Amino acid sequence: MPKITINGKNMEVPAGTSIIQACQQADIPIAHYCWHEGLSVAGACRMCMVEVEKNPKLQIACNTQAVDGMIIHTDSEKVKDTVKWALDFHLINHPLDCPICDQAGECKLQDYYMSYGLYTPEMNQPKMKKNKVVSLGERVLLDQERCILCSRCVRFTSEVSKTNELGIFNRGDRSVIGTFENRPMNNNYSVNTVDICPVGALTSKDFRFKQRVWFLKDFETICNGCSTGCNVTVSYNQNGVFRVRPRKNEAVNGHWMCDEGRDVYKHTNLEFRLEQVVERNDELGGASVKGKPVPLAIQEISKKLKTLTSKNADAVAVVLTAQYTVEEYEALLQALTALKVKNFYHWKNNEETFDSFDGLLLRGDKNPNTQGLLKVMEKYKVKGNLKDFEKGSAFSMTIVAGPENQTVYPDLEKKIDVLKKGGEVVYLTSCKNDKFNTFKWQIPMKSFVEKSGTFINHKGMEQKIKGGLKISKEAITLTEFAAALSEAGGARA
Amino acid sequence: MEQKLLMKHYENDEYASYKGYVKHDGYAALKKAFTMKPDDIIAEVKNSGLRGRGGAGFSTGMKWSFLPKNNEPRFLLCNADEGEPGTFKDRMMMERAPHQLIEGMIISAFAIQSKKSYIYIRGEYNESYKIVEKALKEAYDAGMLGKNIMNSGFDHDMDVYRGAGAYIVGEETALISSLEGLKGQPKLKPPFPAVQGYLRKPTIVNNVETLAAVTWIITNGAGAYKKYGTEKSAGTKLFSVSGNINKPGVYEVPLGYPFKDLLENECGGMKQGFNFKALIPGGSSCPVLNKEEALKSTMDYECMSQLGSMLGSGGVIVIDDKQCMVDLLKVLMHFYHHESCGQCTPCREGTGWLEKLTNGIGAGTAKLEDVGLLDKVARHMMGTTICALSDAAALPVISFVSKFRDEFECHVREHRCKVKGKCHAQDHH
Repeated sequence: MPKITINGKNMEVPAGTSIIQACQQADIPIAHYCWHEGLSVAGACRMCMVEVEKNPKLQIACNTQAVDGMIIHTDSEKVKDTVKWALDFHLINHPLDCPICDQAGECKLQDYYMSYGLYTPEMNQPKMKKNKVVSLGERVLLDQERCILCSRCVRFTSEVSKTNELGIFNRGDRSVIGTFENRPMNNNYSVNTVDICPVGALTSKDFRFKQRVWFLKDFETICNGCSTGCNVTVSYNQNGVFRVRPRKNEAVNGHWMCDEGRDVYKHTNLEFRLEQVVERNDELGGASVKGKPVPLAIQEISKKLKTLTSKNADAVAVVLTAQYTVEEYEALLQALTALKVKNFYHWKNNEETFDSFDGLLLRGDKNPNTQGLLKVMEKYKVKGNLKDFEKGSAFSMTIVAGPENQTVYPDLEKKIDVLKKGGEVVYLTSCKNDKFNTFKWQIPMKSFVEKSGTFINHKGMEQKIKGGLKISKEAITLTEFAAALSEAGGARA
Repeated sequence: MEQKLLMKHYENDEYASYKGYVKHDGYAALKKAFTMKPDDIIAEVKNSGLRGRGGAGFSTGMKWSFLPKNNEPRFLLCNADEGEPGTFKDRMMMERAPHQLIEGMIISAFAIQSKKSYIYIRGEYNESYKIVEKALKEAYDAGMLGKNIMNSGFDHDMDVYRGAGAYIVGEETALISSLEGLKGQPKLKPPFPAVQGYLRKPTIVNNVETLAAVTWIITNGAGAYKKYGTEKSAGTKLFSVSGNINKPGVYEVPLGYPFKDLLENECGGMKQGFNFKALIPGGSSCPVLNKEEALKSTMDYECMSQLGSMLGSGGVIVIDDKQCMVDLLKVLMHFYHHESCGQCTPCREGTGWLEKLTNGIGAGTAKLEDVGLLDKVARHMMGTTICALSDAAALPVISFVSKFRDEFECHVREHRCKVKGKCHAQDHH
């Protein structure tokens, strides 16, 4: 293992480590635009220049391997001056339209100007004029003037998504990022280019102009879009959730996530949420009555349930989708089995097959916790799926833990008739959907950003989700539902 | 004195054909080479002191010895993408003696044990391309290329590839990119081409003149070659001389030849009414020399480096006293701005900035500080990029501004050209 010295600090790094990686390990800041851990080395931005003793020329840290005995300086006057000028070269044709730029606040040009620049610009020439709004695909927009041509996005499409839609056209300072005519960037990983864009050149059509980033707070959690369980950062404020971005985890998703996963926040926002209990009142001709307090509704459900199970345990069924946490399943199954319920059904909407995996991250099983649900069902020695439910005899009452992310259940509405076989349906859901008004009860549930717990992904890896947002006031978790169900009406009596 | 080692038969028209070439002992060097061991040829070239004639002046034998010592397939590329402004020697070599180049390439390929080589010809050189292509066919027909050349058991194939008109492709890694079918942009080093080049295989890229010189060295031996030139600059070199001189053209002189003699004897002196003012000794990327420096200089690597310039590709541009340095720099800056590949930020943005500054100074719209800024920007572009184009753009700026600052300041301060009163640099853009 080579022993090197960076800024007087001795360290040992694995053979083959580049200087920039060594600096990262030692927490020594080093400016860079084109280098990205998940991509090949381009060596084009020339920001990561460092001084290596016995070498008359400054070297780029990203393409220089640490060799035994190397003495490296990242803070000498020569380096500082060169980095300052490299930054200035990035900025001379940059439009400096920060006030209307979406990236402002998380822009590397701004950050590095504060840490390496702080000079008075000497550029007094007219700037290059390029296109300000270029649509690269369904989800990504390009501002060619803001682009610093670091080529991260181009390398992403050639190395990660392997779709090669992007290229750099023309030469010199006329260079622009672009796509071929009629070949837009519509791969399912396109928004990653927005994340890795260090400046405001690539913006997400979905997030663009929605929020200033300094009004957003972040928390880390797991995507609930499929069984891969990509690690993500969710950005939110008092007005709701605004975006989901990938978080590095080499064991799961590397640096990336798919575009479908970007949309998982949408169903958590208030406009799509079921906020109150909805009860179908047959006395009023099947009209929907809203606003019954949740505890009261559960009390009624509990009463009915207990009456039914005391006569015939087979009168009640439970249908579960794999979109809740392990802890919730555990609580629900414990409570219901205590109430003698024994018919549990796993509502599978799609199969995990060889072809359904896209080869990168997105899997056929669009539920985050299938493994977790199966594990808990096994623990309570119950099994069955929706087909068994369909084939079996009718029930008097059915509790359905419906999907939180309805977009991955395209046949959801067709299943209404199937579920109605369950008699009086208690539908637990976080999303509002008028079609469900035919069910006896709809109880508002919390979404994955509002609760904590465990998902088990397709590999069997346990990952914690950490929510804690308050979006829908009355919503409850399955755990709370189970507890209320057991306690209500003197269950212990 | 001109010393025509390579150019000996160039005036003879039939030398371009296979028959004419063989008549003048053509392909004798190849025959001799096949009696030698490949490593001995490399040693011979190393001993001859031959330095790359494309511009960098790196020892050719040394370059060859960087190849890995294994059986990995390897390539020899001939860099005939002669794009350095002021240089036109490779063109003449290809047009007058294509077989000399082909023979040199086969010898070199045998030395490095490469079975495939390409001649990468500049896109604009249509005539050269036609002549080299025809010569290649002749060589194949005569059995000088293909399987079992001259019963030596050595197989070699050669192809011609044409560029699309980019100056940067003269840089060897950009040439490799272009040959691979990619955009002609330099690649990061390391890995160096000798380790990982064309198609990620070990590759040697040599200039036309370098490869042609190998033919002479093998025929006459390293010792004979070393007799010409100076200690560190062995042999002869072809200089493409241009400017307002009586006899512009390509001249082969031993390295170390005084520039003054080249100008006065070979080139017939300045044209009437023109006086010598400055010299760009090795193509437009080399720093300019003023009159005093130029007249005491000798045409070799050491002297030019001592004077802070370079011998480069041997594109000798003679500047006379009717030329405005601002006007000349404006032309150069337009060229480098146009030709920057756009990969590295300092070059991509800097070349544009330099051109705009030069235009402003020429037009007289700039401030006096801009002359200093021009120099400052150029200095910060030096040595910061993947290839040398950034330096190539910066070096002329620094030397022009430092040696002819009065002409730049006159354009700004007095809104007139110091040399001509009015010049093209004053045209607005």
